[in-house]
Amino acid sequence: MDLQFLDIIPKSGPLFWGALYTLFVGLIACGVGIFVGTGLLLMRNSRFWLLRTFVGIYGSFIRGTPALVQILVFYYALAPLTGINIGPFTAGIMAVGFNSGAYVAEILRGGLSRIPKGQWEAAEALGLPKRKVWFKIILPQVFHSVIPLLVNEFTMVIKITPLLSTITLVELTRASQMLYNETFRPVEVLSLAALIYFIICFSISQFGEHLQRRSRKYRL
Amino acid sequence: MTFDYAAIWDNRDILINGVFNTLLISFIAIPIGILIGVLICMARISKRRLLHWPAIAYIELMRNIPLLILIFMMFYALPFYGIRLSGLTTGFVCLSIYGGAYFAEVFRGGVEAVPKGQFDAAKALGLKYGFYMRRVIFPQLYTYVFPPGTNIALTMIKESSLLSMITVAELTYAAHDINGRTFTPIETFATIALIYWIICTVFLKLTGMLQSHVHTDDLSNSMAIR
Repeated sequence: MDLQFLDIIPKSGPLFWGALYTLFVGLIACGVGIFVGTGLLLMRNSRFWLLRTFVGIYGSFIRGTPALVQILVFYYALAPLTGINIGPFTAGIMAVGFNSGAYVAEILRGGLSRIPKGQWEAAEALGLPKRKVWFKIILPQVFHSVIPLLVNEFTMVIKITPLLSTITLVELTRASQMLYNETFRPVEVLSLAALIYFIICFSISQFGEHLQRRSRKYRL
Repeated sequence: MTFDYAAIWDNRDILINGVFNTLLISFIAIPIGILIGVLICMARISKRRLLHWPAIAYIELMRNIPLLILIFMMFYALPFYGIRLSGLTTGFVCLSIYGGAYFAEVFRGGVEAVPKGQFDAAKALGLKYGFYMRRVIFPQLYTYVFPPGTNIALTMIKESSLLSMITVAELTYAAHDINGRTFTPIETFATIALIYWIICTVFLKLTGMLQSHVHTDDLSNSMAIR
């Protein structure tokens, strides 16, 4: 079979919109992930053992089940269970965000362990309340030190988003499926989709590596 | 809201078949993936440009394309070239070449973590490249490779769920199947989530035991050339 990219490229508008949608979903999900991850980090360091145990169970569940199953659980099971009717978009973003949150929490934990003990002691010596110590002193430093890893986490999120095509979100994978069903040219369409994914993920991960190199250079 | 356990129990054959297929796919794909990983890693760290660059291209390609796209390409695009693989075969092939790239990176990280003196000493003894790689460097890799390697193997078990999209009858597909018959999404998906969790936890426990068994922290033990 001869490849006919020239026929497909003019029709690849949906792929472009799909790619934008993928980025959009990825960004929001990553935001949710950072939010959840920060929450988990705070809970892990909380005084209450119930919260600490919850973090352990949560992490084990997220690490021990496939992202696809998490998305399906969110989409099919959570809405009837809670009575809240969330659409595929919200369900997808929540599922991916909560999935990413567990990994972000691990990243943040790594960052937290690198914070010198003096920072805590100094904050305490200044008589700052616990909340201020966390939000004004510790967390900013943690986030600053893990920015490269968070950028990499974003590529992981982008690589999970194709799974959202199962719950009818028209992102890049779904758009390409629709396009090749229409044109009967899976080879060209899927290669284009793969190329787009590659460009997105590769540029982001290279950016992450660049940040990592830079942060290594300026480390105290 | 009551749990309809009967829906699960009556369809347990489908679930058991699904578990069997998931385990089968994972435990064939993981060793092949490790093998591919070793080969690609050797190519990656080689000084020959003809091996070095293709290996980098392979690793970067696999690491930056979602597995689902790869699966779709294998399943929907290859038949146009006269290669018609069954769903299960596509699963093995995709998972192992995908995991292979990640394993290659893990092995490379391990080789880079081996102290430089080991290479120098091996070279000074006049050992040939293939020999000292096989007998000196690779035995030491366990220490560095085991934890991240376990993670990748775990990811491969989980990623095998994507094969449900090309109608491989593994666990996720079984859930779709049961859900389609009985309309009990909550029970089925909660059940398979639990089963996946059990599989992964058992896997982690087993590898943890294995890891403490090979005494990875004792470098002098694995350095002996037999």
